[in-house]
Amino acid sequence: MLSYNFKYELKLLLRSRWIQLLSIILLLLFGFSTYNGLQKVEKRKNDILAAKTEIQENDVLMLKLLDSVERGMQVNVPSWTIPSSPMAVGNYHPRVAAMEPQPMAFLATGQADLFTHYVKPTVGGDDAALNFTEMTSPVQLLFGSFDLAFVIIYLLPLLIIAFSYNVLSAEKESGSLRLLAAQPIRIQNWVLQKLALRFFWLSLLVIFSLLTVFFLLGLSPFGNSNTFISLLGLILAYMLFWFALAFLVNLWVGSSAKNAVSLLGLWVVFVLLVPSVLNQLGNTIYPMPSRNLMINELRNMKAEVTEKQDEILDNFLRDHPEYALNDSTQTRGFYHRLMASKKLVKENMEPILQSFEKQLQNQQNWVEKFKWVSPAILAQESLNQMAGTSKADYENYRKQVIVFAEEWREHLLPFLYNNQDFSSNDYANLPSFRYTELTSGSQKGIPMLFLISFLLTAVGLISSRTRNSKEVLNQG
Amino acid sequence: MILKTFLKETKELLREGRVRISIVIVLLLLGVAVWISTKQYQNVNEQYAVAKTAERAVWDNQGEKNPHSAAHYGTYAFKPKYPLSLVDQGVDKYAGTSIFLEAHKRNEAQFSAAADQTGLARFGDLTPDFILLFIIPLLIILLGYNSFTKEREMGTLTLLNSQGISHPKWIIGKWAALFLPIFVITALLFLIAGLLLGNLEDFGVFNWSSLAMMFLVYTVYYIVFINVVLLISSLTKKSGIALVISLSVWILACLAAPKAASNIAESKHPYPTRQEFAANVLKDKKQGLDGHNPWSKEAKLLEAQVLKEYGVDSLHQLPFNFSAYRTQKGEEHEAEVYFKHYKFLKDQYANQSKVYSGLAAISPYLPTRFLSMALAHTDYATHWDFADTAEAYRIATQEFLNNNTAQNTQYGQRGYKASADFWQQLPAFEYDPPELNTILTKNRSNMMALGIWLFASFGLLLFTTKTL
Repeated sequence: MLSYNFKYELKLLLRSRWIQLLSIILLLLFGFSTYNGLQKVEKRKNDILAAKTEIQENDVLMLKLLDSVERGMQVNVPSWTIPSSPMAVGNYHPRVAAMEPQPMAFLATGQADLFTHYVKPTVGGDDAALNFTEMTSPVQLLFGSFDLAFVIIYLLPLLIIAFSYNVLSAEKESGSLRLLAAQPIRIQNWVLQKLALRFFWLSLLVIFSLLTVFFLLGLSPFGNSNTFISLLGLILAYMLFWFALAFLVNLWVGSSAKNAVSLLGLWVVFVLLVPSVLNQLGNTIYPMPSRNLMINELRNMKAEVTEKQDEILDNFLRDHPEYALNDSTQTRGFYHRLMASKKLVKENMEPILQSFEKQLQNQQNWVEKFKWVSPAILAQESLNQMAGTSKADYENYRKQVIVFAEEWREHLLPFLYNNQDFSSNDYANLPSFRYTELTSGSQKGIPMLFLISFLLTAVGLISSRTRNSKEVLNQG
Repeated sequence: MILKTFLKETKELLREGRVRISIVIVLLLLGVAVWISTKQYQNVNEQYAVAKTAERAVWDNQGEKNPHSAAHYGTYAFKPKYPLSLVDQGVDKYAGTSIFLEAHKRNEAQFSAAADQTGLARFGDLTPDFILLFIIPLLIILLGYNSFTKEREMGTLTLLNSQGISHPKWIIGKWAALFLPIFVITALLFLIAGLLLGNLEDFGVFNWSSLAMMFLVYTVYYIVFINVVLLISSLTKKSGIALVISLSVWILACLAAPKAASNIAESKHPYPTRQEFAANVLKDKKQGLDGHNPWSKEAKLLEAQVLKEYGVDSLHQLPFNFSAYRTQKGEEHEAEVYFKHYKFLKDQYANQSKVYSGLAAISPYLPTRFLSMALAHTDYATHWDFADTAEAYRIATQEFLNNNTAQNTQYGQRGYKASADFWQQLPAFEYDPPELNTILTKNRSNMMALGIWLFASFGLLLFTTKTL
């Protein structure tokens, strides 16, 4: 029976032009979205490259200036930007701390349009104020991006619904169901087989069009075969979930229109409603502290600190006797006081900033707990993870930058407090930033999706077994 | 005929389970959305009030201080939330809420809510605008997809034709039956929103005419959808196919077109990255006068010019402190640089807007979205307006502070401190969002697009259904 079904279904799909139509739609959707993703990655790479080149050029100038200063020549730049001052190096010659795109970054825009991919931390800058958001028009952020993730999460299920909503009901409506009932196969098994075959064909089409698009756009899926295989695994698992739903609806509901409406309702629930409700609940249960109130806090602290700058510097030097020992001149200027106060503000702000991080972590945990409620969330998370554009990736980057900013400051501060000039010999020792990617955790979403799909199918089979076959024939 | 068709269709709708269930679900969702948004609105407004007062207190109580130190210490402008944001949150989540106003620098608004949320936030929020823009059109499809196909499928079409019915009247009857429930739901929502907002503590800039305008915009949007759904239903043979086509239109208009528009707009008219922008500004700043650097070429030039103007030969003879004057001139140069670069950003956005307007041809969603945000004061233009007002205030503040130093000190004098009560003389930052008329003039193209959709869809519906 399976082989008959197989042959019949293939002929049917080819003659009704479903296969041709789906191939074209898939090629167009995958093509357009992959192209968009690649363009974004290209821009990201170019931006980082431009920033790095600029720094290199600036460094050449800086070394020239240093050379002139060391030879005792007059230089024609404002006194406070002469790089023999360690603070001038720290403020006007920062390093680029860049987050290079991962090989599969084109898959999902994720948070990439919201956050920046390179910053230049200076010794004078506040870490809290290091702005990690990118300059994007908020309209773009609101609408989102037409990327591969959008096609997979939003559109693919709709294609599946259009492809499978009337598998049983069409037979009923055209009157051929009675003929089918005379065949030596249970109706539910027949529906299952038919949907399984459609799943098989659609999977083939998806894989085939994805490969075609990748090759046409010059991407090599085999260079990164592990991620590519998990991508395929994810797509298939996500598709399987929607086919399983279609199976249930075909068995349980009835007429074509009712099936379509129910499947669509499920789509709205899983793709649109559940994620937004979960997000909002997370925000309500673990509300973010107010950024505006944080600013108030920061301002009060700064006001206090400005008044007591001398005292703060004294305390700082008492805590760091090594500076007093190494420095014979004991000169104390603007930067000495400023940097000591900044350090104090930073330490005092720490708990407030921590509260934001903690709350974000709480929200993340909340999502973690309930994400299996909607396969769309599972899929989004997995795709962002593969692309390296998830919130976790940007948090990871932000933390690394803050560590680096501290390293940069700590590297130059001893020069300041020892009243020691920065020289061209010290250039080679300047710290540089290297972004370490998150170790890609195992894709737990994929087996979870498979599990959910199999459970749904099993439910369908068992429940219809207990019902009389006649009901299936007569309903609707 | 119109009335009879209308009554028959309405009865049919009321008797069908799917309609009752879906209307109940939509109302329930709306209720939840309004409740969540009201709470959020109150919360944000309270924080805004606290932050604003506290920040002003910090400024007023600076004590004796040099005015330019105070300028570096700066102050903050906080962006208020407006009553109609309850109906449409617009881009508020993605735009910063506070701008740091300091000497020499125009800062971007920072701390957008989206940056503080998990990746889930990108799916969207359960807010009234989500229901109004996405779910109610879906409801229209659900109620109307089989309006004509059912007549075909049940064979009643032949009966109707043999009766010699007037097609336009018949269609108007069907149209009215579909329009009424949608109209009632929408009217109810806007009425509740109006009453809620009218009773809120700080009335703010809420006015009923903006709300009424918004109601009108959404009503037109729904009429367009009703027309399109009926048109599709009249042109197809089977209900299932009508449903699938209507849904494809919905996906295209509400989901795919905005995203595609955003991609096309960005690749055609990209913004610079934040760092690039800062580097470009810095480059231009260096070209001109630096208020802190008395030795630069530009500073010397200014010196000569001022001496000539006042007919004196030394800076000490000037009636004001030249250092502060130079600081102010430097400030003005920097303000110009920022003006230029922000103008570039605005031009880029104006170009992007053209892409959105162009794609409005395939999506009535786009003009509706933009109009609705604009009316709610949650669109990008309002954000720009706020940022520009804050910048004007920043420039005025710098002038106010520099003038104080210029008038109260001598050239070469160091360590001047303004008295502790001086700070209160600075007027507070106030921002009023654009008026309704201004908004409507600015959004003329969006209104046009929506108007074209309205008439074109009506025309097509009446034209193609002449013969059925």
